[in-house]
Amino acid sequence: MPVGQLLVEGLAIGACYGLFATAVVIIYKTSEVVNFAQGEMAMFSSFVAFHILSVYQLPFWAAFVITMIFSILLGILIEYFFLRPAKHPSILGLIVITLGAEMFLMGLAGWKWGAEQKFFSLPLDPSLTYEPVKGMIINNWAIAVFAVTTCIMLLLYVFFKYTRLGVAMRATQQNKHAAKIMGIRTERVLSFAWGSSSLIGAIAGMFFASRATLDPAFMMEPFLRAFAAAVLGGLMSIPGVIIGGGLMGLIENFFGYYWPQWKPIIAFIVIILVLCLRPSGLFTKHFVKKV
Amino acid sequence: MKFRNKALFSFIAVLAVLSIASVTQAAPPVGFDDNEIRIGQWGPQTGPAAPWGSVARGSKLLFDIVNEEGGIHGRKIKYFIRDDMYNPAQTAAVVKELVERQGIFAFVGGVGSATGMAVKDYLAANKILWIGPAAADKDFAFPVDPYLFAVYPLYKDEGSILTKYIVDKLKMKKIGILYQNDAYGKDGLEGVKDRLATYKMSLVAEIPVEPTEKDLASQILRLKNSGAEAVLMYLTPTPAVIALKTAATVGFKPQWVSSNTLSDYPLMFKITGGLWEGVITGAFGEIPDSMNPLMVKYREAAKRLTPEERWGIFYSAGIVFADPIVEALKKVGRNLSTEAVMKALNSFKNYQTIGPKITWTEKQHQGTDSVLIQKCGPGASYITLQDWTTNDLATWKK
Repeated sequence: MPVGQLLVEGLAIGACYGLFATAVVIIYKTSEVVNFAQGEMAMFSSFVAFHILSVYQLPFWAAFVITMIFSILLGILIEYFFLRPAKHPSILGLIVITLGAEMFLMGLAGWKWGAEQKFFSLPLDPSLTYEPVKGMIINNWAIAVFAVTTCIMLLLYVFFKYTRLGVAMRATQQNKHAAKIMGIRTERVLSFAWGSSSLIGAIAGMFFASRATLDPAFMMEPFLRAFAAAVLGGLMSIPGVIIGGGLMGLIENFFGYYWPQWKPIIAFIVIILVLCLRPSGLFTKHFVKKV
Repeated sequence: MKFRNKALFSFIAVLAVLSIASVTQAAPPVGFDDNEIRIGQWGPQTGPAAPWGSVARGSKLLFDIVNEEGGIHGRKIKYFIRDDMYNPAQTAAVVKELVERQGIFAFVGGVGSATGMAVKDYLAANKILWIGPAAADKDFAFPVDPYLFAVYPLYKDEGSILTKYIVDKLKMKKIGILYQNDAYGKDGLEGVKDRLATYKMSLVAEIPVEPTEKDLASQILRLKNSGAEAVLMYLTPTPAVIALKTAATVGFKPQWVSSNTLSDYPLMFKITGGLWEGVITGAFGEIPDSMNPLMVKYREAAKRLTPEERWGIFYSAGIVFADPIVEALKKVGRNLSTEAVMKALNSFKNYQTIGPKITWTEKQHQGTDSVLIQKCGPGASYITLQDWTTNDLATWKK
């Protein structure tokens, strides 16, 4: 059994799940809404990057910057046009709206770019690999995922801990009405949350697309796994979801090595067990909402 | 008196409407008249399987050529394509609409197993011919449905032929397989195992894959550790791309061999970023740049009549599936009937155009077990490695 290699592969895909799960958690932390359009927002942004690269032939970094700006605007606009107009919204109502947004984005991408799979690559030579320890080959894709995930985690930690906006986001999540009374413009906080979540999702989406193919449905499966990783780690804890993602990647890869037929469902079985034993996830405290 | 007359008139009117309705229900409109023969096909023109929609448009090219040449015994072919979005419920709806509103003589092609199974019994009940389903489902040909004639070689036969090629020609003894965990993948697996049994060999790794999986790292490491020299794939395009990309990043370089479902080299070459070069696949149609006189004729006609279409293997497969009905209609002559065309189809013996040789009898409606073996060359070019080959292990022929 290639333990070292399974460790690298499991952690790399797990970091990617964790990164995408972070995008899910940012919105959940501010509004308690699970955004089912998260995968399709990332898919749409990845298609924009693909379009800029293939049609306008811009260099990758220019396409990347434009895509990042686009993804922020996409997040803000979806929140503004889809969720904000809802009158007296319940959490369930908002979740259903995100499902509608998901279908809208998938239809739009299918209409614009078609259903045929597209090739999407990051400027990383896939054949360039390193073997720091015998039996542990690390490729460029995995290194990029580890580096980007670490940077985003550090930035988010500083943001939530030390910036006024970060504190305002936490306050909005804890009590929206009290935050409003304290002068926090909660609508702006929500816009910021959706924008930054969409940005992180787009980065993760591009990682997934470069490993597989780009098509309107390509983020459905990663979204499910990222969501499961978020549940595993605890939907309220950003470090928790990263660890949840890593655990998920490791469980899938080690288990999938011996029993490949069980690989697609093993992580979900683990999650059911976790939810039975620790309903709020591994890394968050169970809380009971006061009436 | 006036009231009684009115009531009588209403009663007669209702009876008339009911009798017309029952007549309509009992027999759908006939699928031909003195001037035209109506043929239909369903296929995904939109939605996730839209790339396979070119099969239905490829059939259109053949019918356009036939009409351009004057039709068949004075009748033109009127061809209907309906988009079912690869959704069986939608297939049932569009087929019903075509049969009951337009009146269809025969269906050709039709992408998908589940979509086809959704209408198979309906078509048989209405005595409508269906030639060349664009899927290799065993249930289409076994047991024999008198109105259904299969062209597509079975995945089991193809798996057996490909394995024979790997062992005999490539001299490779360690063979692994990545197969989709459904009827498609399992049929291929069965053919591979049957062939290996004749060499007293077994697979070094046998790995099922779900079509939606996005991470195949552990599966590829398992194959690498098994020492597989050749890996067969019974997959859809995206898992195949993930498999090749992942293998490249862990330094695993086997001879990849795939089912004909992945023989659209320009597409596979593009979406793997060139990794598809060197992959060997089965095929059930001539290569796109073949100099076979019929291929030259169709290729030129495609350039002239449908310049917007890509001349690829799925497009020309539409011709392979539609060819037999044209031939049967020519054989039958002016006195057209479903029974006469069935009789003509049942007498096909080694009929070949740009696909495999087809033989049908009253008791056998699986038309062929032949495939070509091809290889993806530089720039997504097609290299024919082995001419049409039959499966000597095909039990259904005996």
